[in-house]
Amino acid sequence: MDTVSKTKWPIIVGMAPALLIYLVFAIVPILISFYYSTMSWNGFSDMEFIGLANFREALGDPIFWQSLKNNLYVVAASVFGQVPIALFFALLLNRKLKGGKIFRTIGFMPVVISTVIISLVWGMMYNSRNGLFNQLLGAVGLESWAQNWLGDPKWAMISVCITIIWQFIGLYLIIFLAGLQNIPDELYEAAEIDGASGFKKTLNITLPMMKETIIVAVILCISGSLRTFDLIYVMTSGGPGHSTEVLAMYMFDQTFSSTRFGYGSTLSIFIFIFSLGLVYLATLILRRKSAAD
Amino acid sequence: MKSWKSRSLVASAASAMLLLGACSGGDGASGSGSNGDQVELTFWNIWTEASPQNEASKAAVERFMEENPDIKIVQENIAHDQFKVKVKTQAAGRQLPDLVQVWPGAELTPLVDGELIQPIDDILDTWDGVISDTMFADYNVDGAQYAVPANVTPTSLVYYNKDMLAEAGYEEIPATYDEFKQLIEDLKAQGDIPITLGNKGQWLLQSSYISTIGDRMTGSDFLQDVLAGEAEFTDERFITAVEVIQEMAEMEAFNNDFNTLDNIQHRELFVAKEAAMMIDGAWSLGPIVEAIEDEGNLGIGVFPEIEGGDGDPEAVSAVTGTGIAINSELEGKELEAAQKFLQEFYSEDYYTELMEGDILVAADIETPDSASDALKRVSEIISKKTAPVYDATVPVDLTDAINSGLQEVSIGTLTPEEFAENLQRIVDNSL
Repeated sequence: MDTVSKTKWPIIVGMAPALLIYLVFAIVPILISFYYSTMSWNGFSDMEFIGLANFREALGDPIFWQSLKNNLYVVAASVFGQVPIALFFALLLNRKLKGGKIFRTIGFMPVVISTVIISLVWGMMYNSRNGLFNQLLGAVGLESWAQNWLGDPKWAMISVCITIIWQFIGLYLIIFLAGLQNIPDELYEAAEIDGASGFKKTLNITLPMMKETIIVAVILCISGSLRTFDLIYVMTSGGPGHSTEVLAMYMFDQTFSSTRFGYGSTLSIFIFIFSLGLVYLATLILRRKSAAD
Repeated sequence: MKSWKSRSLVASAASAMLLLGACSGGDGASGSGSNGDQVELTFWNIWTEASPQNEASKAAVERFMEENPDIKIVQENIAHDQFKVKVKTQAAGRQLPDLVQVWPGAELTPLVDGELIQPIDDILDTWDGVISDTMFADYNVDGAQYAVPANVTPTSLVYYNKDMLAEAGYEEIPATYDEFKQLIEDLKAQGDIPITLGNKGQWLLQSSYISTIGDRMTGSDFLQDVLAGEAEFTDERFITAVEVIQEMAEMEAFNNDFNTLDNIQHRELFVAKEAAMMIDGAWSLGPIVEAIEDEGNLGIGVFPEIEGGDGDPEAVSAVTGTGIAINSELEGKELEAAQKFLQEFYSEDYYTELMEGDILVAADIETPDSASDALKRVSEIISKKTAPVYDATVPVDLTDAINSGLQEVSIGTLTPEEFAENLQRIVDNSL
């Protein structure tokens, strides 16, 4: 205690630069966004204070709700797609498998590839005239299953979600593998002595021990999905007809394309609120579950 | 350990200083001025690529400086997309350069409203008889002229493959929309894609389709009237124009992946002879002439007449470009220098050089013999009548609504009536 109070000032001084940078580049912009969100401003002329009119407009804006819905699809696809699949492969790769390292590298590869390239390549595979998927379906006699994957509003969001799942499995795979490595062998040995078989071990030792890692992964998943932008921007630009519009993209378009800086700020405030709320909700649910166990 | 700590402290403090310094710096943009007898003017433009137009423009600046040693133009060449973002940010901080390249309509109006640039009406008589009022109109806001156009770009030409049309029994683009629909059916019947379209970017249906199709129905004053509150988007003629686009989408006139291809990819379908026609702007002219094997097989026409329309059936939507505006803060000697620059920059030599590079110019100057046949054909088309391009006329938020709305109409999730109502609501809100 004594040492802490003595070294308080050096600690504060030491933290100051980082804190200052964090304040200037993270906290202050959020506050400025709040300020802008009450304005009608096109970036050129004078700002005009309009109170909560932007918020009212957003709440009555069907495209805003559509983008929120699509965002929630992405969140759901990520949490219920990426995490379980990644966990499954992590458990598989954690065994002494021939060529495990190669599979690990392959699994991680999509995370390293630039999103723009992923979007373009998947865009080509989804193409309705000469894309890989429709050609494959045609080759096995399932022409009737062929779809205009990205061009049909019914399928566009699903197709985009599949790509997003594929892209990030590798990231969670690595996180889970790291988590698995931290489970002490003694636990498994003890379980073996008690006669536990492979599946029982996974269910009763691995998964409970992994809980914290899974919580972190889910939170990363949620916040990442709410910010999703680049992949959809390149793949569909939110189209056709807003069917793949997400909040971040709608915000970007309103701000920098329509030059409605005030309304764009309002949308970013909503993204901020939704992310905070969802992450809080997720931690609450998962923590309660782990506390109950 | 201690020394390491203090050193890293100094290092991080120093880097923080650097960062803060970087934030407060960079206000030199408008801080140029006269140095002795020499006047220095800063000038931002997008001439980064080595295209014929950029080369000619840069050469014209050099020529001006040689002839006027007392004036120095300091150029900053910035790539197009970054340029527009940079101008918007710098304009918000009122730090534009002395001379800045500007685009007509939606890009120009906010600069005028924010009083960031000044009119050039005093020097307009320089181009008497060379540039017509129609060409000047795009850079005219509320009766004041802000820039001189260099080139003109038709946004809505119908490129066609002569052989493929001949196979279906047509020599050229039919004169009426009903015959045009028959042509589409005939092309479909022989297994070709009638019209290639790449509307992923959402602006093509606006810039190349509704700008001209809308004009066929409503005539050329419609948009101005709507913005002034004297007409409405819910006008039956406008709705009919949107229905034309809807009809073409429904009768499968386009490749079925038209909302997932961009405007470069769709060009490939035309070049590869998979599609018989392509409705696109003059920006595709150069690349197509370069890519196709037989230039003689390339036909260029305009969208046919629509029955009941009030517009000129020969009009084609076009927008002028490469204007340079003067910062509103300039005065005295610097202003004189800037005006002199504009007067000498937009010279006949410059326009001739542009035409030699296959670029249509806004000035009324004889086409040089070395220009390609396709260019001559396009200049013939636009010499008849030009119509306003939607995104160069209406505010940006309305443009965005038109872009995404037309895409929705094309996939059937929005009816033309709903589309028109949505647009009118945006106009009503801003009136």
